Amino acid sequence: MRKRFGYLTVLVASAGIVGAAFCLTITAPAPRAAAQAAPATAPAARPATISGHPNMNGIWEATTTANWDLLTHTTRPMVSQPGVYPDVPVLAAPVVALGAAGGVPPGPGVVDGDEIPYKPEAAAQKKENAEHWLDRDPELRCYMPGVPRAMYMPYPFEITQGTNKIVMGFEFNGASRTIHLDPVDPPPADTWMGFSVGHWEGNTLVVNTDHFNDRTWFSRAGDFHSDALKLVERFTPMNPYALRYEVTVEDANVFTKPWKMSMVLYRQIDPNARLMEYKCVEMVEETYLGHLRKKQLVKHWEGDTMVVDITRKVPQGDKLYER
Amino acid sequence: MRVKGNRYVFLMALAAVPIVAAGLVQRTAGQNPSSSAKGESSAKSAANGAAPKTAWGAPDLQGIWSNVAVVPFERPKQYGERQFLTEDEHQKAVDALLKRDQLPGRDSRESQGKDIRGTEKDVARAYNEHWFGDKPTEVSYRTSQIIDPPDGRMPAYTPEAQARMKKQKEYLDALLQGTSGGKPGPISPMRYQPPPDYNLDRMNRADGPEDRSAEERCFLDRLPIVLAAGPLTPDGRPVGSFAGEVRIVESPESVDFYYDVGQGSGFNRVVPITNRPHLAKDVREYWGDSIAHWEGETLVVDVTNFTHESDFRGSRENLHLIERYQRVNPKTLRITITVDDPTTWVKPFTFVQELRKNADKPNMVYEGGCHEGNQALLDMLVNTRAAEKLFSEGKGPDPAKEDNASGGGAVPE
Repeated sequence: MRKRFGYLTVLVASAGIVGAAFCLTITAPAPRAAAQAAPATAPAARPATISGHPNMNGIWEATTTANWDLLTHTTRPMVSQPGVYPDVPVLAAPVVALGAAGGVPPGPGVVDGDEIPYKPEAAAQKKENAEHWLDRDPELRCYMPGVPRAMYMPYPFEITQGTNKIVMGFEFNGASRTIHLDPVDPPPADTWMGFSVGHWEGNTLVVNTDHFNDRTWFSRAGDFHSDALKLVERFTPMNPYALRYEVTVEDANVFTKPWKMSMVLYRQIDPNARLMEYKCVEMVEETYLGHLRKKQLVKHWEGDTMVVDITRKVPQGDKLYER
Repeated sequence: MRVKGNRYVFLMALAAVPIVAAGLVQRTAGQNPSSSAKGESSAKSAANGAAPKTAWGAPDLQGIWSNVAVVPFERPKQYGERQFLTEDEHQKAVDALLKRDQLPGRDSRESQGKDIRGTEKDVARAYNEHWFGDKPTEVSYRTSQIIDPPDGRMPAYTPEAQARMKKQKEYLDALLQGTSGGKPGPISPMRYQPPPDYNLDRMNRADGPEDRSAEERCFLDRLPIVLAAGPLTPDGRPVGSFAGEVRIVESPESVDFYYDVGQGSGFNRVVPITNRPHLAKDVREYWGDSIAHWEGETLVVDVTNFTHESDFRGSRENLHLIERYQRVNPKTLRITITVDDPTTWVKPFTFVQELRKNADKPNMVYEGGCHEGNQALLDMLVNTRAAEKLFSEGKGPDPAKEDNASGGGAVPE
């Protein structure tokens, strides 16, 4: 009993300008019977702060086309081949049946200065990655997307902001990242999603991330990094429904200098909003292992106007096991 | 404010009564776990102290949690309906465990007292023996994880489930026929047929990725997660154990579980705290649909909508879990899970895991990369295709006559 009064007092004190209505809502878990009486469509009152900091809980999603291309880009085929005119590529065989669904949507870039400062040999690597996107993009293998790519893939993610950890759970193959607000030891090996340590500067969450491996890309346009990648991210609430998200990217092996991208992350407020599973490991088995079946499974497709036949190819040498 | 608090607390207490009553009436409710006072008082490993709360007043479930005490899933019959060991029985069990810890591993270089080095069985076991982790040293006071039915044992399987499992076993055995791991006889015609049901077990065939087991395809992320026991140092670090742990992060609107289990398979599960209903019955997910709500000091997570690709001890898409999380005291998280699948078991059953808090700073919850690093699945298929090619050229044995499933004559798990 005394304890209950104690934390009521603490909550009133720490809530600051938040009204008493918030205190009563968050003092104790609502009994299930009462909750069932409330209409399912009404969102529960949401505290403005968690432990004195902006409340970032909820389902968020970027609305940029950054996962396709970080720079400003116009419409183009997902996989292209030369057309009649040298500067007008057309949909190539893997995607020609998709028509408009086989295009990259246009979008303004998210990079300051609309340019990524690649070293010359890295710029050539990026160009090669883009040309071999279908064979090489780790996203297509259902691999963990890395950071910051997971933040702007076109799928929602849910932030659970706890006492001294902030977890972001991504819909894409259940990937996640944990931002540590307390001092903890780093992992013993490099990781796909990095090791993130955060602290608050006023209303901005500042996150330092490193311990990356070199296996993820930044986009489907072939932007990549080495295991020397270091990020500084800043999350600043603009209002209860939008976060300004800025990322400074540093990788001395790939870029001539640090560069920055920024975008807005929007909170989904539809009461029906939820993460569902985008578990793609089973789905991609045919893609990357289909050539090793005893008997070929996916080989022929016929629509009304098009027939597609698949012939598998095994790259020579080490590329057989190319990741 | 004080007066308001008084009234509010009184109302809360009143409101709690129908909740508790409703919980006891549910078909799927197990024994009320908070009534095991004997277990708590005799559980010397539990630290004294009130269960912590978060800054917003909810029971605090957060931390890194692992299972440290050995306790069988099903109760040995000699204990009858007894949930807890006596002090004497417990001490004997501890002595027996520590003695067992000194023996060579389950897959040692011996079989039935004979040295089997250099045999097919020895090679098949080599992986397990090399990677053996540190062994647990604590024994729980509980006689079993299952606390309901009262005999601490799983209820009987339904005839439907028994028939399903019998067909599956016949199929797996047929694929071992004529190999060193199976009955003598010709290659079974079942080898050229698909399995009777969606298969997650290790099968003696590798025509394609679907023939390989859930572990080999990195499908380890299935609910419920049942943590094996592994040791913690006195300062709360897991030491060389494969038992796994779960990190829980909690907010007013969601609870996130990150499971570091299965020797490098990490899986994240974010559960909304909501009164929203489940997904429609025809929408199915690998991990089902989890929704949570608080019942007093207990977080109740209800999970339905599993796919047919589930297999928790024989269950399939009709699996229904009710998970209850209680922060018993600063060092202990109790997870009570009721398992209900009327197409698999004749009645529901409930089991409990009491997890110990790990130290936070060592941060020994690691990212999994099972799929990202799955060279093995690719290699199994490459090697089998190569063996078939050699056999067709008369240069190697018939792969169909080899045992690549049971570990060289041992019984398949």
